[in-house]
Amino acid sequence: MLMDIIINGLINGSVYALLAIGFSLVMGVARIVNIAHTAFYMASAYFIYMGFTFAGLSPLLAMFCALPVTVAVGLACYRLFIKPIQEHEAAVLIGTIALAIAIQEAFLMSFGGSFLGVPPLIKGYTWILGVKVTWQHLLALGVALLVLLAVRLFLMRTSVGLAIRSTAQDREVANLMGMNVTRVAMWAVAVSVGLAAIAGAIVVPLVVLDPHMWMHPLIMMLAIVVLGGLGSIEGSFVGAYIIGFTEALVVFLIPLGAFLKDSVALSIMILVLLIRPEGLFGVVFEEER
Amino acid sequence: MLLDVTNLTVCYDKAMLINNISLHVDRGELVSLVGPNGAGKSTLLRTITGLVAWEKENLRGTTGGDVTIEGQVSFDGQRIERMPAHEIVKLGLVHCPERRRPFREMTVYDNLLAGAYLSQDKESNAKNLATVYKLFPVLAERSKQISGTLSGGEQQMLAIGRAIMSQPKLLLIDEPSTGLAPLLREEVFQTIMEIRKLGITILLVEQEVARVFKMASRNYVLSSGKIIAEGQGEQLLADEVIRKTYLGL
Ligand SMILES: Nc1ncnc2c1ncn2[C@@H]1O[C@H](COP(=O)(O)OP(=O)(O)OP(=O)(O)O)[C@@H](O)[C@H]1O
Ligand SMILES: [Mg+2]
Repeated sequence: MLMDIIINGLINGSVYALLAIGFSLVMGVARIVNIAHTAFYMASAYFIYMGFTFAGLSPLLAMFCALPVTVAVGLACYRLFIKPIQEHEAAVLIGTIALAIAIQEAFLMSFGGSFLGVPPLIKGYTWILGVKVTWQHLLALGVALLVLLAVRLFLMRTSVGLAIRSTAQDREVANLMGMNVTRVAMWAVAVSVGLAAIAGAIVVPLVVLDPHMWMHPLIMMLAIVVLGGLGSIEGSFVGAYIIGFTEALVVFLIPLGAFLKDSVALSIMILVLLIRPEGLFGVVFEEER
Repeated sequence: MLLDVTNLTVCYDKAMLINNISLHVDRGELVSLVGPNGAGKSTLLRTITGLVAWEKENLRGTTGGDVTIEGQVSFDGQRIERMPAHEIVKLGLVHCPERRRPFREMTVYDNLLAGAYLSQDKESNAKNLATVYKLFPVLAERSKQISGTLSGGEQQMLAIGRAIMSQPKLLLIDEPSTGLAPLLREEVFQTIMEIRKLGITILLVEQEVARVFKMASRNYVLSSGKIIAEGQGEQLLADEVIRKTYLGL
């Protein structure tokens, strides 16, 4: 039981961290609350399924192909639908909800509501402290942690990363440093959707696909970013593991409690908003002018 | 002429914030721009460095209506009034903004690195960093500190240091002494003289009129978006009307 909770908490937390960090990046750099973020995670999973089922690719190859396709779709959606209304908060909120539902409907019409799956990359299992853990779960965890590390290095060590961090804090001053903030925003969207696509690839062998699979992670992700502090990357990371472990605890400790996981996350979100609205690592955005 | 502004007019909606302004800065000068609160000093700097145009382009419809910009701005022989802000910096026209605005969540060192964003030349970056650390030893001591936790004076030094990392030919500095204790203010003014000795031309917006008149080679007095006087410090202070009405001295 304990080991189940730890493994599941770590995997949930890592996948949520990938999602929440991507969400926070775009939120910071382009001030977009992207409700459609987890729809791209779902799109990636479906693209992998399509590559595997229709194009006859191996699951691994399908994942590598789905990543750039998802990023391209994400960038196109940003450029065509979101950027024109970027400065109107309410319009962005409604627009991204509409986009998410459009993506859901597209997959619903193409594949129906039936549950689909992709086989694991590696079969078999091992025993850790007397608990049976599949290799696929361990692989998922390892990949997620590696990608999180890579994101950190990208943000802290590269010049694009510096521009993303600067733009997230003060777009005007970033401009004054010679950063093309429009291009930086495109980068942030690409990285963000890329992370969602990787999250999709990580979970695709572990879950069943259905056109509503974006909703649960969306709720978790929103709870995470409120808990961590809107726009904070560290907050997203820490919040993701807190919510990930909470989910694992609820699922394993409460008999038949799986249906409660969304409500627990939402309760945490409401509590944070009441007690400490800026979250654990609240970020203050510099007002323009 | 390094900077040449001709007949510049800026309107936000129906409010004319800059009213047909012409001014110029020659190489090697330290020119001051003074005037009461709300005169349009910051708006003028923001127009010159392309921020007003960026606002017009990117924040369309959210800051309350339309912005119009008319007139000409040349820098170092190039017309820049239609150039995007992030390209204007490349020419060596650098703007150290009002309220300092460090990247608060980033370390002092990363802030300085952001200033050097455009330059891939490691050698010149290292040289500029050494210059900044020499001007402001406290920044070297605190290079790993998160800049939001610096004191006001240190944040101002960081803002100026970051601007120097962008290799300015002309540096526009907006109210560097505001909010600082008198001793620190004097320190800021001394630094500005030092920066001038580095061969950097300066256009300085300040509230401390009497003080900047002592160091500037020329001064412009701005009020309600118009330049109402220009000249040497003594000249301006000798004029009763200007001194009382516009400079509050
Ligand atoms: N975005 C804006 N929209 C409309 N009006 C604005 C905007 N920004 C500034 N103003 C107005 O323009 C005028 C000039 O502002 P500006 O900030 O340029 O003055 P300033 O001379 O820098 O003043 P201070 O000494 O207080 O910094 C002010 O009356 C201000 O209210
Ligand atoms: Mg001002």
